[in-house]
Amino acid sequence: MAFFGPTAGWLVLFFFVPLAIIWVYSFGENISLTEIKTTWTLDNYKRLFQPAIISLFWRSLWLSFISTIICIMIAYPVAMVIATSSAKAKPWLLLVIILPFWTNLLIRTYALLNILGTRGRLNDLLEWLWNLGDGTLALIGLGGYALLGDAFQPVKFLGNPSGVMIGLVYVYLPFAVLPIYSSLERMDRNLLEASLDLGASQWRTFRSILLPLSIAGISTAAIITFIPMLGSFLIPNLLGRGQVDMIANVIERQFKSANDWPFGSALSLFLLYITFIILAVQAFASMRKGGNRDG
Amino acid sequence: MRKNRMPISRRAMLAGAGAVGLTLNMPKGAFAAGGKLNFYNWDTYIGETTIEDFTKETGIDVQYDLFADNDELFAKLRNGNPGYDLIVPTNDFVERMLTADMLVPLDHNKIPNIKNLDPAFANPAHDPGRKYSMPYFWGTIGIGYRISKVSKVPDSWADIYTSDEYAGSIAFLNEATTIMQMAMKLMGKSMNDWSDENIAAAEAMILAQKSRITAFAPDNGQDLLLAGEVDLAMEWNGDILQAMDEDDDIGYVVPKEGGLLWEDDLCIPKGGPNPDAAHAMINFLLDDKVGAANADYVYYATPNAAAREHLGPEYNENPAIFPSAETLAVSEVSIYPGQEVISKVDAAWTRIKAAG
Amino acid sequence: MARKRRDRAGPFEYSRKLSLRISFLLASIFLYAPIIVLIVFSFNNSRRGGNVIWKGFTTKYYGKAFNNDSLIEAFTNTLAIAFISTIFAVLLGAMTAVVLWRFRFPFKPVFEGMVAMPIVIPEICMGVSLAVFFSSFGLYVPPESPFPLNLTNIILAHITFSFPFAAMIIRTRLSNFNREMEEAAKDLGATEFQVFRDILIPHMKPGLIAGALLAFTLSLDDFVITFFTSGPNTVTFPVKVYSMVRFSVTPEINAASTILILITLLVTALAMRFQSFEEGDK
Repeated sequence: MAFFGPTAGWLVLFFFVPLAIIWVYSFGENISLTEIKTTWTLDNYKRLFQPAIISLFWRSLWLSFISTIICIMIAYPVAMVIATSSAKAKPWLLLVIILPFWTNLLIRTYALLNILGTRGRLNDLLEWLWNLGDGTLALIGLGGYALLGDAFQPVKFLGNPSGVMIGLVYVYLPFAVLPIYSSLERMDRNLLEASLDLGASQWRTFRSILLPLSIAGISTAAIITFIPMLGSFLIPNLLGRGQVDMIANVIERQFKSANDWPFGSALSLFLLYITFIILAVQAFASMRKGGNRDG
Repeated sequence: MRKNRMPISRRAMLAGAGAVGLTLNMPKGAFAAGGKLNFYNWDTYIGETTIEDFTKETGIDVQYDLFADNDELFAKLRNGNPGYDLIVPTNDFVERMLTADMLVPLDHNKIPNIKNLDPAFANPAHDPGRKYSMPYFWGTIGIGYRISKVSKVPDSWADIYTSDEYAGSIAFLNEATTIMQMAMKLMGKSMNDWSDENIAAAEAMILAQKSRITAFAPDNGQDLLLAGEVDLAMEWNGDILQAMDEDDDIGYVVPKEGGLLWEDDLCIPKGGPNPDAAHAMINFLLDDKVGAANADYVYYATPNAAAREHLGPEYNENPAIFPSAETLAVSEVSIYPGQEVISKVDAAWTRIKAAG
Repeated sequence: MARKRRDRAGPFEYSRKLSLRISFLLASIFLYAPIIVLIVFSFNNSRRGGNVIWKGFTTKYYGKAFNNDSLIEAFTNTLAIAFISTIFAVLLGAMTAVVLWRFRFPFKPVFEGMVAMPIVIPEICMGVSLAVFFSSFGLYVPPESPFPLNLTNIILAHITFSFPFAAMIIRTRLSNFNREMEEAAKDLGATEFQVFRDILIPHMKPGLIAGALLAFTLSLDDFVITFFTSGPNTVTFPVKVYSMVRFSVTPEINAASTILILITLLVTALAMRFQSFEEGDK
C-alpha cells in the first residue's frame, strides 16, 4: 500500500489540480484578452451542440475507430512474431518496430507527404507498375492503353479521410504492438499444444485459445491507440491537407488563434467525458466476461 | 566610439552577403555591457552572422529561440512572460498585445538608429509614434504560381476564390482571418470591415469553392507548389521567393484587388529580465550596415531606408519584395478586430472545416 | 525444454511461419519507408525544397547540423528529459499496476479511472493546464538553474502523461500472472518481499521493458505539452523542429533527425548488449 501514496499523490498534484483549473475555466468567459472570469455560465457547453462541432466529433470518432481496427490487425501478427522469437532476436525485433518512432513526428509526416502526394514516390511506383503492366499487355497485342484505360491517374491519398487514416495507423502502430506483445509473451504453450493434440486446426487453436487469452492485450492496445487518435491535430492538418479536420483541430484553435480558452476547455472536457464513457463500457464488458484475473 | 576588426569573412549561404566591417556609433552607456538577451524570433529571420556580430560588438550573450506563429507567441506569453526579452510579433498581434497590456514602452533615447527608418514607417496605425515597436521586416500576401501551368498571370483573387479553371490545383493558407479578408477584398470591401454580412458572404464563397481547393496548407504551400501538387498557392511573399530561388518556373503576384500588407515588429514584453539588452539589440538591428546584411540574407522587405542604400537593384527593385505603388495603394494592413469578431470568424471557420 | 528441430514451424513458433514473417516484413516496410526517404533526403542539395525535389548529393547539412549549437542543445535536452522521465514513469507505472492488480479497495474503479485520464485528455488541454498551474503557483524552476534541473517542469509534465501508459502495459502483463507460483513460493517459506523481487518482477519484465519503450517514445517526440511548459533555455528537439519547419524543411532537419536516431539506437543497443552479458542465456 506504500505504492498507493506516491501514485495517487502524483496524479492529484500534477494532473487533477491543473485539470480542475481547466474545469473552472470551462464555466468562465473572457473578460479581457488574457483574463478569464468564472461566471459559472453554461454558454460554453451549449456551444458544444452546434451542428458543426457535433459533426466533427462524429468524424473524429469514426476515423479513429477504423484506424484503431486497422492498427490492431497489423499489430497482432507483428506482436506474435516478436513474442515467439528466440530470446536473442526478441529485443532486436522490438527495436525494429520502435525505432521509427524515435524520429521526430513532424519530419516523418513530411516524409509521408513526400511519399503519398499525387506526385509522390508511391504514385511514381504505381505509375511505373502500371506502365509495366501496359507494356506486358502490349506483348500480347493489348497495349497502347487499350485495356487499362487512358493514362495513369495518380491515386489521391492525401486531403481525404484515407490519408488521415494512413497517418493515424502509421503513428500509433507501436502503441498497438507493445501491449499485445506484452500479453503474448511467455503465454502458456501447454494449452496450445493440448488443443492441437486434440485435433484442432491451427486456425481453430488460434481463434478459440490464443485470441481469447490475449484479449487483455488487445483491449489495452485498442484503448491506447483509439484515445490518442481522437486527440490528434497534426495529422489531419498535414495529411488531411486541412480538409479533414478533427475535433482536436478545433480545440487547438481555441487555445491559440481564437483565444477562447473557456470554450476550448469545455471542448476538451467533453472529449474527456466521451472517452471516459467508452472506457467505462469497456470495463463493464471485461468484468462481465468473467474469469477476472485481477485481484 | 569603438572600432571593430573586420569580422572574418565567411561563405555566405545566399546572394553573396559577405561579411561587412562594422564600425558603429554607440552612445556610451546605452546598454549594460555583458549580460544576456533572450531573443524570441521566427526561424530564418536573421542574418547569418548578425547574432555573433552583436555579441562581439556589445559583449551581450544571446539565447536565440524560435517560434512558429503569432498564436504560439501569444499563448506562451499570455500567462506571464517565461523570460523573453525581445519578441517579434506581426502588426495585428502588436495591437493585440497592447490591448492586453503586455508590452514595455520603448526608450527612443536608447535607439538612436531610429533615424535610419523610412519615414513611411514612423507613424503606423497600430502603434502611433512607434512607442512600443520598431519595424523589422514587412511584406505581402499574394498568390504564388507555376508559370508554365497558368493560362495567364493569376492577378485576381477570383482565380482561386471563385474560378474553377484551376480546380484541384489550389492551395489556401490555413488561417481563418486571412482567408476571409482576401475574400472580402475580392468582393471589393475593405479587409477590416467585419460586418456580419461580409463574414457570411465570405463564408459562403469559401464553402462553394471548397471542393476545388486541394489543400489548406498550414505552412507548406510553397512546398506543394514546388512539388507540383498545386499550381497556385496563397502564400507570404518571402516563402514564394524562396521557392523561386529553387525553381525558375515559379512566379509571385499580388492580385489587383489588393493583398494583405503585414509588418513584423521588434517589441519588448513586460517581465523580461534584461530590457536594456533588448534595446541594444533593436538599435543594432536598425543600423544601416547590419540591416543591409540582415535583409540580404532574409530577403524580405526592410523598412530601414539607410540599409536599402547598401543593397543592389535586384533586391530594391524586386516586385516580389517591394510591391509597386499601385499594389500598395489597393493593399491594406490588417487591423486587430477585437475578440468578438475573432470568435465569429472562428465559428465560421469551424463550419467551413466541418463541411463535407 | 529441448525441442527436436523440425522442418516445419512448431505449433507456437509463429515467428517461423512464412505468412507471419511476410506480415512482419510488410509492416516494417510500411514503417520504414518514410524513414528511408527522410535519410535519403538529408543528403539533398537543396535549400528550400528539402523534402520535395532532389537536387544532387551533399553531406553539408550534416556539417551544418553538427555546428548548430542550439540544435545540439535541443538534442541534449530532449534525450535527458526522455531518459529521466522514462525511469520515473516506469517506476510509478509499475507501482500503479501492482496496486490495481493486487488489491481490492473501495473506490478502486475511481482510481482506475483517474489513472486512465492522462491518456484520455487532449494534449493541448493538458499542456495549457500545466502551464497555468505552474505559473499560478509560482512553480517554475528558474531557467538559469543548472542542467538538468532547469528541465524540471518539462520532466514533471512528461512523467505525468507517460506513466499511465506504462501502467496499462505492465498491468496487462500482470494479468497473465499465475498466482499459483506465488502461493507455491510462499509455501516454501518466501517472504512477501522475496516473492515480489524474485517472482513478480521477472514476470513483469517484458511489461516493464515495453512500458519503458513506450514512455521513452512518448517523451522523445512530445511537442504540445513540452511547448507549453518550456521557456528560454529549455528548448527541446520537437519544439525546435516545429519552429524551424515553418520556414524551411531544409535537409539540415533531416540530418539532425537521422543523427538523433543513430544516437538513440547506439545507446539502446549498448544497453541491450550489457543486459545480455549479465544474464547469459535466458
